[in-house]
Amino acid sequence: MTPEFFIGLGLILLGTVSVAWASPKDYLTRLINLEIPAFGLLLVMLSFDEMLALLTFIAVATVSTFIFVRVIGKREEIN
Amino acid sequence: MIEQIITLGLTGLIFLGAAATALWKNPFDKLIGLSLLSAGVIPLIVMRGYLDVAIVVAILIPISTIFILLLLGRKTS
Repeated sequence: MTPEFFIGLGLILLGTVSVAWASPKDYLTRLINLEIPAFGLLLVMLSFDEMLALLTFIAVATVSTFIFVRVIGKREEIN
Repeated sequence: MIEQIITLGLTGLIFLGAAATALWKNPFDKLIGLSLLSAGVIPLIVMRGYLDVAIVVAILIPISTIFILLLLGRKTS
């Protein structure tokens, strides 16, 4: 096993805990903390040499961040 | 020999960035920790030889940071 695999697993665990129990409990903190397990999953994909999966995952993560920003903005406008 | 030292240093940088992003409370501080994390991840991608993936990662991470900053600017105003 390569060191990237274990770094990725550690990042997924730490990021999941920090998203689940975010310290100020609002949407923005959880959205920023959600980037940590995304990097962990990226490193796990890197350790298995899946290039197409890496490119697709990065693009989809950016688009989903944009969609979450729009949704949170609309919800704050309603409130 | 030198690759093990570089990997060890990058591991320290990655976990420093992850802990900083998870523990700090101000969103601007969180974004700085996130860029520290990405600065540790990109040399690992380059060391595996995927330069095109490194280009895409280096372009798309600041774009997602700009999206989050859009939300932050709307929140403070």
